[in-house]
Amino acid sequence: MNPSLALQRFFLKNGMALGIFLLVAVAFWMFILIILPQLFMVDFSLSKNLPPAEIGGPKDVLTFEHYKFMLYGSAKEAGSFNTVDLGVFMRTLLAAFFVTIFDLVLCYPIAYYLAQVAHGGWGRLMVLSLIVPFWVNEILRAFAFRIMFGSAGVINTFLIWAGILDQPYDFIPNNVALYAGLGYAFILLMIFPLYNAIESLDKNQIEAARDMGASWLRIHWRVVIPFAKPGISSGCTMVFMLTAGALAAPQILGGPSSLWFTQIIYQWFNTGGNWPRGSAYAIILLVSTILIVLLVMKIFKVKLGEIAK
Amino acid sequence: MIADRVRKFFVIGFVIVFFSYLFGPLLLMSVSAFNSSAFPRVSPFECFTVEWFAVLAQDATLMEGLRNSLFIGFGVVLIAVPMGLAGALMLTQVNPRVRPWYYTVVISPILIPGVVLGISTLVFWDRLGTMFGASYDSIFYDGIFLTIVGQSTFIAAYAMLVFISRLQRFDTAQEEAALDLGATNVQAFRKVLLPFLKPAIGSAAVLAFLASFENYNTTVFTIVSESTLTTVLASKVRYGINPSISALAVVIVVLTLVGAVFYEILQRREAAAAKASEAVARGETATRAQQAALYADPAVIIALLVFIAGFGTVYFAGTLGVDECKVAVKEEKQRLARERTKMRQSLEMFKGAAPGVQTAPATTAPKVRAKGTEGYENVFAPSNLEETVDSDSPAQQKQQEQPEEKVESPGKSQFQNIFDPANLQQQSGSGGTN
Repeated sequence: MNPSLALQRFFLKNGMALGIFLLVAVAFWMFILIILPQLFMVDFSLSKNLPPAEIGGPKDVLTFEHYKFMLYGSAKEAGSFNTVDLGVFMRTLLAAFFVTIFDLVLCYPIAYYLAQVAHGGWGRLMVLSLIVPFWVNEILRAFAFRIMFGSAGVINTFLIWAGILDQPYDFIPNNVALYAGLGYAFILLMIFPLYNAIESLDKNQIEAARDMGASWLRIHWRVVIPFAKPGISSGCTMVFMLTAGALAAPQILGGPSSLWFTQIIYQWFNTGGNWPRGSAYAIILLVSTILIVLLVMKIFKVKLGEIAK
Repeated sequence: MIADRVRKFFVIGFVIVFFSYLFGPLLLMSVSAFNSSAFPRVSPFECFTVEWFAVLAQDATLMEGLRNSLFIGFGVVLIAVPMGLAGALMLTQVNPRVRPWYYTVVISPILIPGVVLGISTLVFWDRLGTMFGASYDSIFYDGIFLTIVGQSTFIAAYAMLVFISRLQRFDTAQEEAALDLGATNVQAFRKVLLPFLKPAIGSAAVLAFLASFENYNTTVFTIVSESTLTTVLASKVRYGINPSISALAVVIVVLTLVGAVFYEILQRREAAAAKASEAVARGETATRAQQAALYADPAVIIALLVFIAGFGTVYFAGTLGVDECKVAVKEEKQRLARERTKMRQSLEMFKGAAPGVQTAPATTAPKVRAKGTEGYENVFAPSNLEETVDSDSPAQQKQQEQPEEKVESPGKSQFQNIFDPANLQQQSGSGGTN
């Protein structure tokens, strides 16, 4: 279609004022807020870390040094891998993956229960009460876990009182608190897509399967889960992306010796004072999480369009 | 039958476990806000107190962060909601072949990690500023502006989703009818579509404000040298904490509960009409709709009971018994405290008045640490220490004369001297009689 014709029709349909508003608002959002900043970040990650005066000067050339640094570390010890950063990176992705699985396993029964079993006032009350923790600040939620898991925290006190432990177990250096807190932080982004998907399943389908003699497990495996697949994948996508990109929970609950990849990025921006390198690391995080999501979706044969619904 | 019952038992057990995972941490944190222990904890529960709320209200850095957060929240609402609305309206008009691409671009900020969004915003405006040769106090480096822009990037997508779901229920015949009857495009938009979208605008605005208010990942990069409530909280939680943070959590939880109940009431009013028409369409849902209306009240009733119980407890405990309880606990600790005081006194003599306490914070991110310790600086200030040492011996004498008088361990009384005006009077008054 002819673009100028389309534009003409667009203004005819919306009128001048509204048409201009729509175009300006959408263009501002898409280009100034979304696309250009990402492109600038890519460009920035390919530049050297220079003082402001030298930017644009002869030294300002394209370089892959920050990506190389992620792989090999500093130039002095060439040939060996940057085990620290790579290790943190792999650990972050792996932990995010397991947190996602944990949330899925935890939320699926609840979502099913709320969507298909519970009804009336209590069902609504439970759905509503899911929202409450979500609006409590992410930092405060992490703080709550710190109170619980601290060496003088409730869990240790209880375990000692019950005689299971002799002395307090250090949950924080061992990252137990971190994983519990991360699983908690994004639980609702798992449960709501699941709930929405399962709720739209016609009860008769389950009844029919039951009447035909399908076992309880088989009903879920063959009827409910295939139906809820878009919800499951969109929940998993969101939880995985957000967990891998979490900053508050690792900062507050992480042990002193263990880092989350976002913390390394944060350090490059703050104490490290190397913004291009931080940008490069951020791009590595973004690209690798997107690739993992696409890969998993390919394995489970889910289309992107289904998730976006 | 037995198998059924066993299964039901497991299901209910699982639901209970799930909801205790969801609410347990918040509940414990709320409890720790009322514990007089100087460190946020639930056990041992020393005395019931509301003093941490006063400490909270006196915290200047937190209050400044709160002001900035509110300002940013309103800015985000003003930018993100119109953008989301435009994005949603555009989606209905854009060429079907372009639509998936367009949708992918505008929805992507939801999936991009907040850290990445913050960094890209920071870098983009920084580079623009460099290009234009702007000075460091121009808008390109202004933390508040950058945060509004950075948060709007993804919050507009939330708003857009709200508008899309509302627009899906819009009957375009209405708009066509208005146009047929001679309305101009602008009139049709203002008189037909906009009124239909009004509830969605309201909920998008609330959603945008809340999302902005609690955002951390993006803000921590874009805020530069300013602070918001979340960044102040984060540095406080990391580098030194007292239960006033729990008190803040209690305030937020209560506000959320009030909001949830309010929202529920509004929703029910709106849903009543929708359900009625739905019930006609589907015979089966008619009974469910009726049931929902009948059972509708547990949410409101339980919330009300919680409020009444909560406020009642706070009120009574606030009026009676706090001081007596504290004395009891403190008497138990008295010997320990005295020993500690002695040790500290000898340390003082050894070191002079150097504030040796201030070694706790970790070594990372010095900029943030400075911010975090600000609120506590006066607590550890050398002058304060001296004051406590001086007031310590009269306090001990006092305790023999009037047992109900408050006697604090040294660390404790510093907090109270500062933050509780009544306390100050009490002490200086009785000091005068001595």
